[in-house]
This record gives sequence, C-alpha cells and structure tokens, in this order.
Amino acid sequence: MKKLVESSGVEVAFREVDVVTTGTFGAMCSSGAIINVGHSDPPIKIEKAWINDVPICHPGAAVDLYIGATIMAERQSFEYGGGHVIEDLVGGKEVEFKATAYGTDCYPRTQANTRLTKDDLNQFYLLNFRNCYQRYNCAVNGRDETIYTYMGKLLPRLKNATFSGAGELNPLMNDPDYETIGIGTRIFLGGTQGYVIGEGTQHDPKNRFGTIMVRGDAKKMSPEFLRGAAFTRYGTTLYVGLGIPIPILNEGLAKKTAIRDEEIFTSVVDYGVPRMGRPKLAQVSYKELKSGKITVGDRRIRVSSLSSLKTARKIAGTLKSWITQGEFFLTAPVERLPVDSVFKPMRQTEETPFVANVMQEAVTCNESEEVQAIAERIVTRSVNHIVVVDGDGKLTGIVTSWDITRALAQGKTALADIVTRRVVTAKFNEPLETASKRMAQHNISALPVINNEKKVLGIVTAEDVSKLLGR
Amino acid sequence: MVRILLRFPENIVEAPITSQIILELKVPINIITAHVDAKGGEVLVEVPDESLKKVVKAFRKRGATVNIPKLIEIDSEKCISCGACITLCPVEAITKDEDATVVFNQEKCLGSTCSACVDACPARAIKSVKQNSTELTNNNAH
Repeated sequence: MKKLVESSGVEVAFREVDVVTTGTFGAMCSSGAIINVGHSDPPIKIEKAWINDVPICHPGAAVDLYIGATIMAERQSFEYGGGHVIEDLVGGKEVEFKATAYGTDCYPRTQANTRLTKDDLNQFYLLNFRNCYQRYNCAVNGRDETIYTYMGKLLPRLKNATFSGAGELNPLMNDPDYETIGIGTRIFLGGTQGYVIGEGTQHDPKNRFGTIMVRGDAKKMSPEFLRGAAFTRYGTTLYVGLGIPIPILNEGLAKKTAIRDEEIFTSVVDYGVPRMGRPKLAQVSYKELKSGKITVGDRRIRVSSLSSLKTARKIAGTLKSWITQGEFFLTAPVERLPVDSVFKPMRQTEETPFVANVMQEAVTCNESEEVQAIAERIVTRSVNHIVVVDGDGKLTGIVTSWDITRALAQGKTALADIVTRRVVTAKFNEPLETASKRMAQHNISALPVINNEKKVLGIVTAEDVSKLLGR
Repeated sequence: MVRILLRFPENIVEAPITSQIILELKVPINIITAHVDAKGGEVLVEVPDESLKKVVKAFRKRGATVNIPKLIEIDSEKCISCGACITLCPVEAITKDEDATVVFNQEKCLGSTCSACVDACPARAIKSVKQNSTELTNNNAH
C-alpha cells in the first residue's frame, strides 16, 4: 500500500487494494488468561492457587482463575512468571497446579494438587486488558548508574536507548481514527483468530497512544506468537503477537494505511528520573529508531528494539495469507473505539514527600580552607556534613564531622587531603523515598542536592528523613 | 587468532609477565579486556593460532593460569529477534540483518568476561557456555 500510494496515488490505491494487514509483537504486561479448571470431588472453592509456583488470581466463583502475565513465581521470581505459564500451557506442556481453600459446607475441600495440560481446562481464553499501544516512548537513562526498567537495561549517561513498537506496521497506526476497529473486530491474536472487545485501559487516542482490549481462544494459539519473558529486576511479562486487517473502505483509509515510519514520531524520555512526568529530551521518528541510531542534542545514541519487527512482519504476512485463502473473514465493529477519551493520572489524597520538601541549606566551604576552620564551622552551625564547592557554587566534594575528627587526630591540616570527591547526590525534584534508599545503599547519612549544572542547592540528611517519618 | 583467559594470582600480579612474554617469544599478544587489582588479575588476550602452545606454556611457567574463556551463545530457538541486546554489546558483535533477524558474530564477541547482553535478553536466550576446547584442556593436565 505504501509503495502503491507513492507511485500511483491514493485513488488508484483505493481501487486496487481491498485490505491492508498489520502486525506487532511486543511485551504487553496487561495480558493474561482466564481458565476454568473444573470441579474436583469433593469440590473446592479455591482461595489461593499456584501454577508452577506462580500465584494465580482468583477473581470469581469456585474454579475460575486468571493467570496474570506479570505475576512472578514465588521461588524463581523475576525469571519465571504468569507469561511463561501461559506459554507453557499453550505449547502443550503439563503444569503443576496447587490450590488451597478455607472450606465451606458446599465446598468442603481445603487442598488440591494435580497436573494439568490445556486439554484438561474447560476454558482457556487469553483476555488482555491493554494491548497493541499505537506507539511508545523511546527510553534513555540520564543517571550515573545502569538501571533496569520495563524498557530494558539502560546504560548510564545516555549510552544506549530502547524503544518498542512496529511503527508503520502497527495496527492502530494504520487506522488512527479507528474507522474499522472496535468491539467485535476479528483479529490475529497469538497465532489464531481473536477479537477486539473494546478500548484498552489507558487508551489515549488524542495523544496517539491508543490501546485495545482483546480476547482469543488460547487453546488454539502458538508459542511462536505468545512468549513468556523476563525483564531483569523489573519482572515477567508476555510477548503478544497481534495483527489487524484494515479494510480500505474509502480513499482516506488508503491514505492513512500508507503511513511511513518517518511520519511517526515519539519522545525520547529520561527513565533515570523517578517521576511520572519524566523529562522528554528529543523527538525521533520510527525510521530513526529502526535505523539503530538516534540523535539527542549533539549526541548519536545506539538504540535497541524491545519488540520483534521480524515476528510483526510474519504476523502481517500470515494474516494476509489467511484472508486470501478464505480462512479469515473481516468483521465490521459493533461499536467503534472511543476517539476522545482522556487518560487521567491518579487522584492522590495523600501527599508524597520529595527531596525539595525536606532539603535544608547546605553549610559549605572551599577546598583551600584548613581543617581547623571547618571543625569550628561544624560546631557553630551544628551540622555533620560540610559540602565543598568551587567559586561558582558547584559541588567538588564533601567532608563529614568524622573525617574532621580523624584528620585532627592524625594531625592533618589541609582539607584537600581528606575530601571525599565521589559524592552521592540527590535532585530536588526526586521522591524522598529514592533518595533515602540511595543513602542506605551507600551507607551514608546525607546527600547534597544539586541541579544539572552540579550547583549545590541544599542538603538532605538521614535526620531530616526520620523527622518527617516520625511526624 | 585464539582467545585465552589468563588469571594472575595475587603474588605475581605486579610482575610485567605479559610484556616479558611478548618480548621473549616475539609474539603479538592482543589484550581484549583486563580486570586487574591488588588481589589479582583476569585478562582476556588474543594470540596467533600457531603460537598458542608456546604462549600458554610461557604463561603457565610464570605462575598464571590459562583457560579457554567461556563463550556467549544465543539459542536461536528461544531468540525472538527483538534486538534488546544490540546496544549493550561494546564491540557491536550483535546486529540485525535486512530480514530484521538478530545476527550474532561470535568472533567479535568478548565472551563471558563481558556478558553485558545476558541480563538484557527478555527471552533469556543468551547464555555463557564452556567452549569445546581440545588443545588447551589437554594442556591443562601437564
């Protein structure tokens, strides 16, 4: 479609093409499966259940369960989780099932242990409440240490970037006004035919962050298009293969499905900042993202994909062959996806403290001062930490009352000999919780608060944190 | 070229062993990675195939242990060709071809001394494995 519109124009493309198929294969955490395991004799009203050591939610009646993709195994957490359970069941493997209950007059049993395959389940339906993000952020890390996120492993100081999504191949990107997608749209899901059952959670159409909720018969799915995955220090998830056929009902759709990667932009976001409103550092197109390198300011940064373009292409191709062979029939939606809903942040009735709330003025000195002078300042100002700054007020080091005591005991007089130069710092807009965790991690009791230019804005101490908690 | 992993115990870590061997044997030894501190050192080097035996012998004579480094292997069955590993490789040993398939160049790979890609793989398809070495393990017996 893309080439045809370019070479022959929208009119010709509209006449020639009936359907454009799309596809995506990426980590979709808000996924899971409804299962019904059948009744045991005597019957049990399950209170808690596990499959292969992964806790399974029990949201309904006696033996209806939901396997959440992100729930992790109790012993092998972070490596095996609900996503892997779904993949194993889909692949025909036998799984260990365990359940406990409090026992009632009608459901007397309190324990059940058995082994199950998908054939033993009455229903096994994939039921994903948010899939197929139209596009997604590109992630980088501005911090000084490597961080592990749901966007993968991010190296310090913007040394790499990651992104997700199929760009021009993404289903919702090809029908951005949801003219053909809605409740009842038949789709490719996990290797078989499934359905859109509505908008996904956090559906944000105005910002081009649309999502869908989907359902499909997992018994007919294939592990090629449904894969359990583990993100180090983040947790487990499920890679979901999803494709939507877009019928070319009008010239507008011919034009929209001709969308190119260079026309789809997303933000480069600093995941090193532990806030909801993470700073956006640049705009990049999916063409740049797929090229392997992006530009942020004057820097070229290598970028990795977290979703599989190879599998996304295979999905679009498979869907095309199903349609041409008459195995797949397109459906008109019963109700279209909303185009004007908004995605609200959480209403917070309790305030979360930030560094700025407890930060105090820092007592400073410069490096040319003598140990004796610093000792006096510690006494007169009654502090334990003196922040060392240069002429512009920028951080160069820190000394503690302990450093000074030791220096005096050893007869040292030059401050430069005892300054700690690798200083662990905080930002004024970071949550107090992350700053206090950092203090504990490094076994220290204060963090100078600095801005991006390393200028000292204040200091936050362990005492300030405990005062706040004890309030 | 063959890669070997040298370990220098604490008592000899300060001796200029590698340079002595280079000068004595007149063999180019290429240092790929090195982690050295007062407690000892671990150095990954590359030596020409034909000089492997005498280089290994020379290092062992001076008290270093010589091993075949563990290699990084990608299980193609498990790999979903996402490419999450690509930017973590410091020597660009992992790339994507035109077909969007992830391609791994084992010759470029630094092996398990690096391992930066291993914990970045969501499919857990990357493992460090022992190389099937013949020559060196045979020599170990001596």
